[in-house]
Amino acid sequence: MIAQIKINFDLCKDPLLCRRCLSVCPSVVFVCGPTKIWKGRETDPQEYRIFGRYLDKCSGCGDCVKVCPTGAVDLGFLPKEQLAKRYQEERIAQLNERNS
Amino acid sequence: MCWVCEKYGNGEKWYLNPENYARRLYKVRKEGREASGADADPQAAGMGAGVVAELVKARISGDLKWEEEIKRDALEHAYQTHFGQVVTLDEYLQILDIAYPLVKMTCGCRRVQRGMPDEENFTCMGIGPGMYKWERWPETYRGGVEFLTPEEAKQWAMMNHKEGRVQTVDVFGTPYIGGLCQCEYPGCVAVRNRLDYDFKFLLKGHTVAKVDREKCTGCKSCLGRCQFKSLNLEVYTNKAYVDMDQCFGCGLCITACPSGAIELLDRESLPGLAENW
Repeated sequence: MIAQIKINFDLCKDPLLCRRCLSVCPSVVFVCGPTKIWKGRETDPQEYRIFGRYLDKCSGCGDCVKVCPTGAVDLGFLPKEQLAKRYQEERIAQLNERNS
Repeated sequence: MCWVCEKYGNGEKWYLNPENYARRLYKVRKEGREASGADADPQAAGMGAGVVAELVKARISGDLKWEEEIKRDALEHAYQTHFGQVVTLDEYLQILDIAYPLVKMTCGCRRVQRGMPDEENFTCMGIGPGMYKWERWPETYRGGVEFLTPEEAKQWAMMNHKEGRVQTVDVFGTPYIGGLCQCEYPGCVAVRNRLDYDFKFLLKGHTVAKVDREKCTGCKSCLGRCQFKSLNLEVYTNKAYVDMDQCFGCGLCITACPSGAIELLDRESLPGLAENW
């Protein structure tokens, strides 16, 4: 099974300063990066967004769900075969587009 | 010599060649969109991470050709712009005599992957004239920068080595060297991507550690020092084991050994590893 992590950005408003899921994850699955880059000033922490990045490294322990103060982390799992099929189809579409 | 030395070393190791610290005194100016708040991909944070989401998909799909294509394209770009290499502490200290100015700055990897607060995260070193104008793009230097004298920088580098961080050089526009990192697995995006996805944004260093099995007493002092999953204890013989094929040559295990049982060899003196970067 492969993790599918969805973050509800309506609930997760301040990921960089909250950072509980980033800090607790035993597998360093998350990334929390800026959505904007400004000249002459730092990006506001609220302009950061968090994502599950290394999904194939997620054990499914659920600590990120437990520590989230706003209930913004949705952790689900899909069978690897099902995802593999989906991504293989995406790849075929990508190659078809390139060759067309 | 690695391929970077052949191209940019001028007869020596490329990161000891002063030209590579001075070639590009001024970056190409970013005008227009960026100034007013350009969109950035939050998932692309960290060295080579812009393609990780696709790489993870390719890996899950089991399509090796796809994975190889992603890596080939990304590396072709990275080797012209932004990649790194492991160096030894001795080399790092030599670099601190070549490059100037030297500033402590926050580590972008641990910020985006661990959310480390800026004040606890001054573990990177920015180098070169670009540091004088860090305020133009302060997001890269969240929390500001701290200028150091070469002597302060050396003390700090030795402290980092003692505490167990891998030291690397990083280019920002090949071959211009603009940063020195103190890395670890898995907090460092470059180390993570290299070990878990064999993504060669980070090159192995010019040295390799080798255990002298006669001298090793099995004291275990070196265990825990390796950030590359290359060191363990052979329990039955009670000797340290370094996987030389996987060793990046950082030298962290050596400085922890009280018996002088691990030595750093020149990678090129080992025919089986000479081309293993």
